[in-house]
Amino acid sequence: MYEEPYKWVEAVGNRRQYLDEQFKQGSPVVALAYDAGILLVSVSKGTPKLYEVYDRLALGGMGHPADLEKLRFNLLEMAHVEGFNRSPSDVTGGRMVKYGIAPVIKQAFEEVFKAPFIVKLLLAELGHKAGKDSFLVINYDGTFEEGSSCAVLAASKSVEQGMVAYVRREAPAVPSLEQAFSIALRTWALGDRLQRKAGEESSEGNPAAGTPEDTEAVSLFAHLRDRVAEKTVECALLDRHLSGSSKYRALASDEIGRLLPKDLKITLS
Amino acid sequence: MGMQGDFFQLLKEQGYQLGAPVAASAGVEIPTATTILAFKYRDGVLVAGDRRATAGNMVMYDRTDKVLEIDRHSVMAIAGVPATAYEMVRILEHSFKYYRRTQLQELSFEGKLRAVSKLLKENVAAALSGTGAVAPIFAGYDVEQEAAKIYFYDILGAEFEGVEYAVSGSGSPTIRGILHYLNTWGEQPLNAMPEEQAVIHALRLLTSAAEFDSATGGVNREANLYPVIKLIAAGGVGAVPEATLKSLFETKVVRHV
Repeated sequence: MYEEPYKWVEAVGNRRQYLDEQFKQGSPVVALAYDAGILLVSVSKGTPKLYEVYDRLALGGMGHPADLEKLRFNLLEMAHVEGFNRSPSDVTGGRMVKYGIAPVIKQAFEEVFKAPFIVKLLLAELGHKAGKDSFLVINYDGTFEEGSSCAVLAASKSVEQGMVAYVRREAPAVPSLEQAFSIALRTWALGDRLQRKAGEESSEGNPAAGTPEDTEAVSLFAHLRDRVAEKTVECALLDRHLSGSSKYRALASDEIGRLLPKDLKITLS
Repeated sequence: MGMQGDFFQLLKEQGYQLGAPVAASAGVEIPTATTILAFKYRDGVLVAGDRRATAGNMVMYDRTDKVLEIDRHSVMAIAGVPATAYEMVRILEHSFKYYRRTQLQELSFEGKLRAVSKLLKENVAAALSGTGAVAPIFAGYDVEQEAAKIYFYDILGAEFEGVEYAVSGSGSPTIRGILHYLNTWGEQPLNAMPEEQAVIHALRLLTSAAEFDSATGGVNREANLYPVIKLIAAGGVGAVPEATLKSLFETKVVRHV
């Protein structure tokens, strides 16, 4: 039935709708550069969302855990075989995405008889010098975007845009780890709140009335406090100062506790 | 379910082969190396190696690094054919990282030892044909058990634990006796030695090996050439800086008469 072009386009459209629906309850991911590297933050309910991919590459994901695992293994295989056969310097985020997983995700998305990957990915790459970091965000249809100082994953493009605008407005040129962590948490809270709001509006059949979003830190932290109960704040670094070739480090809960902004400590640590 | 997180298996699936059994042609001298040693000292384990690579009577290179860091807590010192040895080190380095990143936990120390053995077994044909014999020492700090450990291997992949020390390479017979003497009748056993004392002994041992074995390179002060000495303790692997080696050599190794 999909051999007619119109029906194929319709099927892909349906698939887009179906996938958009799947991400509505997902937890956003925030990545931004700080003075010694890159910080990645998310809030998860048991299954991790942040991973080490290669010496200078970290992955954040949103979506179905099984799909995320499959693509994570694809990336790991590709990166390690490439790093062994050529050199670790040749394993770059751009190559992994453009010639590696983006075509795989696109193909799965367009093959309407098969299941698509319910996944959105964020790949952060630590540059050899400050200011040379790069970020790639891959959507469920295989399209990707590159950025240089921050990147986010969220349920929809408009939520992502709101989050990125917030980071750009709040972050100084070179934030410290503490500053970056506080901004990342607030950005996560903003993204999560926007997603919930969008969900409520669509279920009530009442499109956004255009009320301006409250981006005061106090209100964002209050939202975070409400949402984080029984969940875990997950945080990983690509740290330029780490000795050895691997620069990825997941922060332990006591380190996260120390970094938390003062007014959040009581409830989260 | 297949073996998860096995990088070497992944390479083989892609057609990679380690150590093809090629017979050495008559008259072709294959570069070999060396004297390497490891012993436990007070805080962990010391691993050291000279810098010379030879092919028959010819000195191929005098700046070889034979003590190679595999990850934050383990080191492999290599003796034998460098081409094969370096390839093994590269495989191991990628294997341990690949395991950690796929399985989201570190490979156990026993798992790391098994990986070394497997590579040597895979290489047996090349080792016996004379083109790829490697007899390494694998040393590290077992974070789980909070203990320094030393293992040495023959070219077929047999694994032996060096409870106090291990040696390998053409200059090793000389220093094996000295290590036994030091450990048994020295002022203190090797595993009670503080770091500086351990480094001084490593320099003296490699200087002795160079004295009696032409394939082992000694210290060349004019060229600022010192052995490679690495220390592995709970905090990870660290190399003894050249300036420290130079000053200890001048003050504690050179005979002042």
